[in-house]
Amino acid sequence: MTPERAVSRVLFLGGFLAVALMIGGLAALELRALRTAHPLDIAHVVENREAGRSVDVFVSVPQLARALARWPPSPLAVIVVGIVVLLATPAVGVVAALIAFAREHDRRYVVICVALLVGLVTGFFLNVGG
Amino acid sequence: MILGTSTVAGVLGAILGLGGGILLVPLLTLFFGVSLPYAMGASVLSVIATSCGAAAGHLSSGLANIRLGLFLALFTVTGALAGANLVGVMPARALQTLFGLALAYSAFVTIRQLHVEVVDSLVADPLAQRFGLDGVYGDRVLGRDVAYHAVHVRAGAAVMFGAGLLSGLLGIGSGAFKVLAMDTVMRLPMKVSTATSNFMIGLTAAASAGVYFGRGDIHPVIATPVALGVLVGSFVGTRVIGRLSNTTVRKLFLPIVLYLALSMLLHGLGVLR
Repeated sequence: MTPERAVSRVLFLGGFLAVALMIGGLAALELRALRTAHPLDIAHVVENREAGRSVDVFVSVPQLARALARWPPSPLAVIVVGIVVLLATPAVGVVAALIAFAREHDRRYVVICVALLVGLVTGFFLNVGG
Repeated sequence: MILGTSTVAGVLGAILGLGGGILLVPLLTLFFGVSLPYAMGASVLSVIATSCGAAAGHLSSGLANIRLGLFLALFTVTGALAGANLVGVMPARALQTLFGLALAYSAFVTIRQLHVEVVDSLVADPLAQRFGLDGVYGDRVLGRDVAYHAVHVRAGAAVMFGAGLLSGLLGIGSGAFKVLAMDTVMRLPMKVSTATSNFMIGLTAAASAGVYFGRGDIHPVIATPVALGVLVGSFVGTRVIGRLSNTTVRKLFLPIVLYLALSMLLHGLGVLR
């Protein structure tokens, strides 16, 4: 598979999966709102209020995992999984490009992809503007 | 309303190689009363959504050049990392003035070559050949394959580094700079420039996205309709750009460059804060 095709496929699938999760989560949130006056998970609301954040947001993967571990999972957490999938998709695209270039024995672009991945990880910790 | 506006931003972003932040942040804050941090969080997500939606189509159609995008993204990300480390050290306002002037000059060059559809008879840059930056795309408007060469690769890479530096220093997007570096400096076809920029903006936005998420700035109730709208819009935009000529895309892009040049100069000179 060419690098173009590999990255295109990853970007399309990442976008598609993110949309499916976000729409599914939104639909579940609406259904829960019809059944109860408190559609949000109480423990999550309390945790965020104590931290001085908006009650709707998730700020870490462990927080997200806790919300998903309960049954039924929090619809808001399902939406946020969609958001996380979308945020991670470009980096996964670079990994796909790296593999495709490695298969083509294009060492120059393998090095460029590795350098970009290092840059993305470093930027993640440095609050780099996009 | 947010969904509809985001769809329009996605269509424009996919055609012009921008993330949509230039349109979405003012709209969300001024018309929908969204606070600035949540608008910025939604904007970062919209940049990635535009990139995923548009670049997927542009890469498979051959309009986006993956080698060119990865090669230049290396300089943007390096510049952004340097900029993030130089906050408070480097005079941001002087840099804004400098880039404002550069954008004003780019606008002048864009006006001069407004009717140039494809630049012919360019001598290929040896660096472009070594890194495989030249390419071919099928132009539906011209009804033929268009082969293109990248020139002034070092200058283009330097502009990319500067654009990244500004991103890191000010936390702003740099899609317009990427397009201008490719179109004006490297003399690539306008549609190749915007399509490749669409691929690149997702990479630079991804570097900062985790931080916005960790700060709680990506509010799911606000960001989700934005992401959905932008994704749908960018899929539509990739279909539309094939039917447009390079000159039409350049004409659509010109007002953005003029607005950015004016905004940067006014901020750099301290007229706007």
